[in-house]
Amino acid sequence: MVLRFTDTSVGYRGTPVLTHVDLSLEAGQCLALAGPNGAGKSTLIKAVLGLTEVLAGTAQVFGDAPGQARVRCGYVPQVGDLDPDFPVTAAQVVLMGRYRRIGWWRPTRAADRRAARDALDRVGLAGEAGRRFGLLSGGQRQRVLLARALAAEPELLLLDEPFNGVDVVSQEAILTVLRELTKGGTALMLSTHDLALARDVADLVCLINGRQWAFGPPGEVLTADQLRSAYGGHAIDLPDGRTVLVEP
Amino acid sequence: MILTVPFMARAMAELALLALICGPVGVFVFARRLSFVSDALTHTVFPGVVIGFLAGGVEGLVVGALVAGLLTAVVLTLLTRSGALSDDASTAVVLTAMFSIGVVLVSRESSYTSDLTSFLFGRLLTVTPRQIVETAVLAAVILAMLAIAARPLLFRTFDPAAAAAAGYRLFWLDLWLNVIVALVVVAAVRAVGTILVVALLIIPAAAARLITARLAAMAVIGTVLILLAGYGGLWISWTASVDHGIALTSASAVVLLLVAAYLLLLPLRRFLPTRGRSLSRGATPPTRKDSPHELVG
Repeated sequence: MVLRFTDTSVGYRGTPVLTHVDLSLEAGQCLALAGPNGAGKSTLIKAVLGLTEVLAGTAQVFGDAPGQARVRCGYVPQVGDLDPDFPVTAAQVVLMGRYRRIGWWRPTRAADRRAARDALDRVGLAGEAGRRFGLLSGGQRQRVLLARALAAEPELLLLDEPFNGVDVVSQEAILTVLRELTKGGTALMLSTHDLALARDVADLVCLINGRQWAFGPPGEVLTADQLRSAYGGHAIDLPDGRTVLVEP
Repeated sequence: MILTVPFMARAMAELALLALICGPVGVFVFARRLSFVSDALTHTVFPGVVIGFLAGGVEGLVVGALVAGLLTAVVLTLLTRSGALSDDASTAVVLTAMFSIGVVLVSRESSYTSDLTSFLFGRLLTVTPRQIVETAVLAAVILAMLAIAARPLLFRTFDPAAAAAAGYRLFWLDLWLNVIVALVVVAAVRAVGTILVVALLIIPAAAARLITARLAAMAVIGTVLILLAGYGGLWISWTASVDHGIALTSASAVVLLLVAAYLLLLPLRRFLPTRGRSLSRGATPPTRKDSPHELVG
């Protein structure tokens, strides 16, 4: 079992952001966190990494407390949070994924550079290794961050809105890599507000908005009733029976 | 040549050592946007220098600076950690509080007013061999500290959330870098003073960034710029005072040359590719998370 959360509340400095989380994830499965902006998706991802407090219930990552198994977890942050003017190349960014293995003062080994090169190749950006990170397109930057996480060879990969502002080519490249990963036994947890994508890519969906509203296979979770309760006033019922979600 | 004069040679040796540390450290100060923090450190070291001088004369100066610098490094890291204050506000509070203590201490003793200028602007031409040895020791410590943590510091600077996710303790990394900056200030304070040292930390890296986007190249160019400005500044101040009778302090000549180098390199910026910048201007600006502990999603 990769993840097991039992009636868990998570938050910062004693204030809960997300409550009543009940979910589990096994190796080779893909879990999508769905919900509106500010629902607590990023908070839940950081809870898995041990970067937010568990305020109630229990949370286990690889059978241990969150934060104990960080070397087995990979993390892909939102690309928009990074400074495009920062003077680093794509290859240097990917190599950061190996830093924990290299250690503090030892020089970079050939094996680490090879792993970084292979990871960059895997996301289809081997030719951009020497380019400055900030000069790449948004989608390419997202792929570089994915390559950085791959270079660490994680057993659980956490992705925060990996398809936000990403072009179609990059989205396809990312999806291909994610499918290969789950086939190889890696567990995935990704947050998205694209429900169609969640339905396509995930084996399990966790619908959250301040609390968990539903957890299970996409077909059972992404129903009009569940979405209406999770999205509240942002869910509008059309006369023909369909439900439309409106996000500010 | 001016370097055949012993005190000029010593001044140049001191500047060369400072160039060696300010080049690489300046890159991190620039990338981590710690310019203001370095400025604060130079000001907070000031009361330490004064207290050290009052207690132990010139010899006590470095000890006082060291204690004040390390103390500030810890306080600044703690203040920015809680997230209650922004980096800027907490830094400004510490800066003004400590600097005013220094001024109060100096003004209590009227005989120290002449030394006030040397605290603030340094005495480059009276550098002693012992002082050079002390700077060399500090330089070795600083470069070792930087070498040990260069990779984690780079990771933390570029992507704090991912560095924390990878298991790095951001507080300790921030403290580590602040201590490094404090040690640089201590190393430089007697030669160039508490005010001008900030120029050695910030201008070379900023100037280097105008012509390169590679971190290693920035460090090397920064060091070379300080060496050139150091030699040029010493030559100008020598020529001005010996040949023309104009009193020009060497340290300010060095800093003026650094500023001139920055201004000369400014037009070269247009030759660097800037697609990232123009892209981000068109799209929504990236929400920068400068505070190390702003991890709320």
